[in-house]
Amino acid sequence: MTSTDETTRVIPLKRPFTFKRWFSRTGWRHLVGIVMVIFSAFPLLYVLSASLNPQGTLTGSNELFSRVGFEAYARILNSPDAPFAQWFGNTILIAGTTSILTVFLGALAAYSFSRMRFTGRRAGLLTLVLVQMFPQLLAVVAIFLVMSTIGDLFPAIGLNTQIGLIMVYLGGALGVNTYLMYGFFNTIPSSIDEAAKIDGASHARIFFTIILRLVAPILAVVGLLSFIATTNDFVVASVLLIDPEKQTLAVGLYKLVSNPNYADWSAFSAGAVLAALPVMALFLYLQKYIVGGLTAGSDK
Amino acid sequence: MRTDDTDVSTTKPSKRQHRAAVVAEAASGGLKAILVKMALLGIVDAVALYGLFILFLQQQWLIFALVALVTLVVNWIYFTPGKLPAKYLTPGVIFLVVFQIFVVGYTAYIGFTNYSTGHNSDKAQAISALMSSAQERVPDSPSYAVTVLDQFGTLSFLVTDPNGDVSLGSADSPLAPVNDATITGGEAVGLDGYTTLSFQNILSRTAEITALTVPFSNDPNDGALRTNDGSSAYLYLSSLVYDEQADTMTDAQTGTVFSDTGDGAFVSTTGEEMLPGWRINVGFDNFARAFTEEGIRTPLISVTLWTITFAALSVATTFFLGLFLAIVFNDMRMKGRKFYRVAMILPYAFPAFLSALVWAGMLSESFGFVNQVLLGGAQIPWLTNEWLAKISILVVNLWLGFPYMFLVCTGALQSIPAELEEAATVDGARPWAVFRLIKLPLLLVSVAPLLIASFAFNFNNFNLIYMLTGGGPRDAAADVNVGATDILISMVYKVAFTGQARDYGLASAFSIIIFVLVAVISVIAFRKTKALEELNR
Amino acid sequence: MTVNTKNLLRLGALLGVATLALAGCSPASSDDTTGDSASASTLTVWIDAERVDALKPAAAAYTEKTGVEVDLVSKDNATLKDDFIQQVPTGKGPDITMGAHDWLGELVTNGVISPIELGDKADDFLDVAITASTYEGQVYELPYAVENLALLRNADLVPEAATSYDDMIAKGTAAGVTYPFLVEQGVDGNPYHLYPYQTSFGAPVFGTDATGGYDAAQLEIGNAGGEAFAAWLSSQGKTGTGMFNTEITGDIAKTAFTSGDAAFWLTGPWNVGAALDAGINLAVDPIAAPSTGAAAPFAGVKGFFISEQSENKVAANDFLVNYMATEDVQTALFESGEVLPALKASAEAASTDPLVAGFAAVGAEAVPMPAIPAMGQVWQFWGIAQAAIINGEDPTATWQKLAADVQGAIG
Repeated sequence: MTSTDETTRVIPLKRPFTFKRWFSRTGWRHLVGIVMVIFSAFPLLYVLSASLNPQGTLTGSNELFSRVGFEAYARILNSPDAPFAQWFGNTILIAGTTSILTVFLGALAAYSFSRMRFTGRRAGLLTLVLVQMFPQLLAVVAIFLVMSTIGDLFPAIGLNTQIGLIMVYLGGALGVNTYLMYGFFNTIPSSIDEAAKIDGASHARIFFTIILRLVAPILAVVGLLSFIATTNDFVVASVLLIDPEKQTLAVGLYKLVSNPNYADWSAFSAGAVLAALPVMALFLYLQKYIVGGLTAGSDK
Repeated sequence: MRTDDTDVSTTKPSKRQHRAAVVAEAASGGLKAILVKMALLGIVDAVALYGLFILFLQQQWLIFALVALVTLVVNWIYFTPGKLPAKYLTPGVIFLVVFQIFVVGYTAYIGFTNYSTGHNSDKAQAISALMSSAQERVPDSPSYAVTVLDQFGTLSFLVTDPNGDVSLGSADSPLAPVNDATITGGEAVGLDGYTTLSFQNILSRTAEITALTVPFSNDPNDGALRTNDGSSAYLYLSSLVYDEQADTMTDAQTGTVFSDTGDGAFVSTTGEEMLPGWRINVGFDNFARAFTEEGIRTPLISVTLWTITFAALSVATTFFLGLFLAIVFNDMRMKGRKFYRVAMILPYAFPAFLSALVWAGMLSESFGFVNQVLLGGAQIPWLTNEWLAKISILVVNLWLGFPYMFLVCTGALQSIPAELEEAATVDGARPWAVFRLIKLPLLLVSVAPLLIASFAFNFNNFNLIYMLTGGGPRDAAADVNVGATDILISMVYKVAFTGQARDYGLASAFSIIIFVLVAVISVIAFRKTKALEELNR
Repeated sequence: MTVNTKNLLRLGALLGVATLALAGCSPASSDDTTGDSASASTLTVWIDAERVDALKPAAAAYTEKTGVEVDLVSKDNATLKDDFIQQVPTGKGPDITMGAHDWLGELVTNGVISPIELGDKADDFLDVAITASTYEGQVYELPYAVENLALLRNADLVPEAATSYDDMIAKGTAAGVTYPFLVEQGVDGNPYHLYPYQTSFGAPVFGTDATGGYDAAQLEIGNAGGEAFAAWLSSQGKTGTGMFNTEITGDIAKTAFTSGDAAFWLTGPWNVGAALDAGINLAVDPIAAPSTGAAAPFAGVKGFFISEQSENKVAANDFLVNYMATEDVQTALFESGEVLPALKASAEAASTDPLVAGFAAVGAEAVPMPAIPAMGQVWQFWGIAQAAIINGEDPTATWQKLAADVQGAIG
């Protein structure tokens, strides 16, 4: 499929349009795209439909969009107990900070694993991944203990603080994502570092001004993954953040449906739809960095 | 931060010029960098000193020593030349140790204790809970209005009984009638020589007041007055007597003696256990139980096989679909790629439990969309037939997981130099061969570890199983509570957390065993991929 | 500019490291001396998210009366109990938590709640509320609401209440709707919703001891009535009339009834709002019994518990016993949730609403859901056996196996 790149180059552009050629070049890709969009989006239409039906349930009916109204959206946006706008802001702040710092800490580590040789390097890499394989059955109990101890001594960063929550998330900054970056770093030829070194650049300068630029696609991917994971985390955030005005969307929304008898699926769905928007926006924005490298390659 | 850089670079006339300028700046910026570094370390040290000061005041010596040590090590790392790897690794590692290694360590530690329902805290709390539950109200005894009085720091109860008779008593002196009390509204509220506690005073001396027992008479069998709210008191007899010296609990009615035999609870000679007990270290007991527990042992082999199959197939399906899509939408000439891509991360942007719920509804046998609408009213038991449920789980997991692989592969594809591909094509290689022989191996360099990690994640993917099928369908004829789609971790959950009993000790022991299993598989897999990793070096 | 952003980030990261380094780590020490003096006059109350509104005025009024701040923390209902059990021993838990009476066994066994002395006020509460709030002879819960199932009827379709189960099915069928009768089930069954029918055949789960509490030693589920119930259940399942269907989940039942496709619906007060909102002409009837015995559902009693480790026990007891147990507050809570109040006076006031009165009438027959730990062993086998019977397994053999499995698990 990739060879089409090359064949088109030698073919004069003025050739008349034929469906067959269009289809074999890009048309079939649209077909795949349409199939995948249906596969991806269809189950979520239930969520959208439930959010637009003020008495909506998620699974009771196959008559999607039998009622369309924005009462559920109004309900969550105006509820005095559910400071939705505040949760939204908190989520963006916490997820944004966490993902930026995760990318930063992860890139630092990946750089040292990729460019330096030291004792314990392989073992260290392996440990990073293995630690995250540990079943997390008791993670919340342990994290609660750590944070309540920290909170006793330094209330500003302990329980019920957003800084504290971000710190907990940063505990996962090194790990699988570091490995992903590490793999990408490895594909950058070390001759680039060598050249800069000969020019007298320090290791920090090489890292910040040269390497980070070249690995932009993977930084964007890791940033997005971390943003999504943080946005959707409920377990840790619900235990650490106690005051409603400090909570995140996930914590706030889960409370709407945690009691099955009183679950407000309509409002929850509306909240979930709104919560997905920043993720989509971020991905739309980051795409140019993720696939940017390819542009550079085909330009020349 | 990257975004700023790139914005700048795209507006500049030429990328190469910009890069040259950056390199030139790099050569001259040594002093600035050192100043920044000093300033940052200065701030770190200042904050550390402040923290040490607080810890010193609080006399938290262990934490004080740890913080001091970490601060010294950080300074040492950044002030001495060399130690480059440490300079880059330290920030992340500190968070890793505090929040991840600690969690692992704590779980491991719990695996060696009896932490479970009934063994939830320490012995002092257990004794206080036992004693507070043992306060039984004397049958048919009235309710007394009470006013709490203070005299030279000693608390007394000024009690008005239902007949209007007033008496006074304290912890040491049993109730005795008084007749010069100030009465308001039929209730004695004050006495000369004593200070009446206001409600605020009562609140601030809560611990003293709730612990105060005023004997009703000289005969302890008449019971003692206690108050919980500072305004009404009742006559109680304790059904338990705690002997601090002997460390035994005695049932006041039967005379049975319960003693601490080292099992984490007071136990009678006949083996009767008094709960709540407390947490103790039980050595390898939980591990021994893990291998003998019937609910685990019987289905162990089939569940383990399914767990491995499920994890491996999940990784394979999500990876190949994600990779295929990443390649398909990597074609520059295709219009609307951006929007196809966004649509495809949709499943990842919604809470997984919401999606699992929707899927469960869609796969419902008589009412689900799949049977009713797609298959025109078919009655296919997607979630209730053993094999179909397994397939359904894999399909839903594919739906949930392919966006991740799609993102990762899209990112990783950018690392493959276009020159390689061009060269191969010029040499006459066919597209499939280019993919199989050049692209895939290069891609695996960066994503192979992720595939292993993804395997491990799915190995412990409790949430999916729990939300979609709950491990079912379960054979009603089977003796154990294990269903066809249960994986190891969900089986452990069912065994350790049945009904109201939460056995964290057992669950932790299982966690460790499962971890060892996954780690061994992963390490072997890493060994196999070692060759791949060095491919381009 | 780019250098600045980078440095800023670097600074941020290092600051994070620094603060973390300061904080260090160690398991929570129990000899923690940093008790917060401010909390001496603040009561922390954990509460379901949907009840916060109702309690806010009550909390404010209490603060005004006594100066004690009441901090209402809305918690996730699904994790509240486990969080409470885990956090109370650390001293970080709340002073009071909202909960349900069937948690009693677990909470008491863990030693995390302390008894509440209601004194003479106990007589002011519905009997079922006090029975449910009592565990091993002690009251641990201040009840505020009693929930139980009842039979909802679409009065436009069926104007008269049904006299028996068969009558109900006949009336429902005559109404000509898709579902004459709906009851929520699931792949793993739903014993809670089938219990009234089981009791009608005279097969409770446990017998009771002298004090009226459930006795795990007296397992009644496998008696002759149980087998009769199993046979009847089978006749209403897949191979019989098909009235019971494990495919009918709560959502499906709700959608069908609210769109007018069902005549009768066995459900709880939590669904009344949805039915009224959908414009159904609603009546609440006693549960039509399939056999000679009354169809007694489980009662669930919601209430408040006081933490054993609370440092504000006096304020907590005063708040609950002398304030939450008053008619005004119980009525206010009722208005937020439309669930029958546990206080007699408030319950009577609420029963002027015929729908509430309907639930209250059924509630008079209801029995508290067992809170004893042995009940946990019952749930794991119970639903799956009922689901199997509904789906056509041999009723007698399945029921006998259920009784044997439960007996084996309780030991």
